Amino acid sequence: MNQQKKLLIIDDDPDFVEGIKSILDAANYSVDVAYNPKDGLNALQTMNYDMLLLDIMMGRGAEGIMIARKMRKDAKLRELPVLIITGIREQMAFLFPGEPVHPRFVEVDELVEKPVEPQFLLDKVSALLQAAEARKGKAG
Amino acid sequence: MENKAKILIIDDEEVVLDSCMLILEGGNYDVATEMDGTVGLKTVAEFQPDLVCVDLKMPGISGLEVLEKIHSLDPTIVTIVITGYATVTSAVEAMKKGAYDFIPKPFTPDEFRLIIRRGIERRKLMLETIALRREKEMLRENFAAIVSHELKSPLGAVKQNMFVLMAELSANINESQKNRLDRMMVRIDDLLKLIHSWLRVLSVDIEKVKENFTPLSLPPLIVKAIECVDPQATRKNVEIVTQIGAPLNPFDGDEVSFVEALVNIIGNAVKYSYAGSQVIVSASEKDGVIEIAISDQGVGISKEELPLIFGDFYRGQSGERIEDSHGLGLTISRRILEAHNATLSAESEPEKGTRIIISLPISSNQG
Repeated sequence: MNQQKKLLIIDDDPDFVEGIKSILDAANYSVDVAYNPKDGLNALQTMNYDMLLLDIMMGRGAEGIMIARKMRKDAKLRELPVLIITGIREQMAFLFPGEPVHPRFVEVDELVEKPVEPQFLLDKVSALLQAAEARKGKAG
Repeated sequence: MENKAKILIIDDEEVVLDSCMLILEGGNYDVATEMDGTVGLKTVAEFQPDLVCVDLKMPGISGLEVLEKIHSLDPTIVTIVITGYATVTSAVEAMKKGAYDFIPKPFTPDEFRLIIRRGIERRKLMLETIALRREKEMLRENFAAIVSHELKSPLGAVKQNMFVLMAELSANINESQKNRLDRMMVRIDDLLKLIHSWLRVLSVDIEKVKENFTPLSLPPLIVKAIECVDPQATRKNVEIVTQIGAPLNPFDGDEVSFVEALVNIIGNAVKYSYAGSQVIVSASEKDGVIEIAISDQGVGISKEELPLIFGDFYRGQSGERIEDSHGLGLTISRRILEAHNATLSAESEPEKGTRIIISLPISSNQG
């Protein structure tokens, strides 16, 4: 049952995406990319992914958060592990006054700061995938 | 013309109103008059004047009351008091209440024109100041977002790709090439750190840390801060020594930012130390105040520079050039410590060393 995992990256910075994608490619993940929130949501709704890597600051502001919120309301997408990759950790406090610096956007997320070291990224991704697998096992 | 200054004159004597109108005729003014305080106030609300002249002695509502009402309506409206000689004392009182100037009756046309011109000038400056202040506030607020996204993101992308390249190339490059890549990474890290400091200074309202104050014990915080600085000290061959006196009372503070301030100050001491010397961090309590002293045996600061060190963007002039200094550490520390009601002072002697003293009040719940 060791089939290739499918990941989706939603991030509007192609250079950054390239730097993330090549790490994941090399680790034998199948990686799709959406360069804007709209395409990203579309891909999430039409394809089956094992995990989402999501940028927060896109377009006119924190559009990544909108995606995370929409996912929370969607019965199917709610279970999808989300790794938030953002360069704005210290600004989270402004976006969510009164909330801790490390807010939980969706139930199954992790947050790492840009840029992210290759091994650290791979560890996070595999840990989230395993946790999702374990949850599924329990539910089934 | 849109930018004609609007002037309202409130005086119960028709002859005064007429002559004022006459005097201001031909100037670039839009003039309205009222003979009664109550009606005058209504006109203030509708006409929205830049400047109002008020006679102090009027039947009905008094000039002083009119002044007060105008100021509560819009404090930027410039008010000038018209008064007879007999009421100079009340003119002074009016000035205390916020009137910009007063003109005693009778006055010459030139006197009146001059005082009006100055008043209008004042109004312009006030509006300009308000606009500038608002703009500055907006800049400050937006700066965080702009800096974060426009500067940090490209650097992040560069660094991300460097990570990958370094991994991919590791087998095919020689030692010197690898060193250069490592140096590039260090420089990018320095830039990211600098941007982070800017963000801290410009965007974070340090007063807000007060909302999260809890009673804290100092010694573990000092240990934590020293742990952060230790690698830097080891590299420079500087020893950090702690001397903590009898048990200290807790103080009210925010752990994360307080440690940040200590890290900055101790880090600074290490940065300006000579190799092989010591940095001494001591803490003792006296009369409800904890005194933390950070002493180094480094390059020191000259008398002229000493008062400047806690200012924005100051960096040391004396001694060797310090590579990764951008002059914000002490500013941030000062603001954090001030939010903790602590005071900072510094003593220094060039070539001998510097001693930074933090006086920190203990928690108010303690004896």
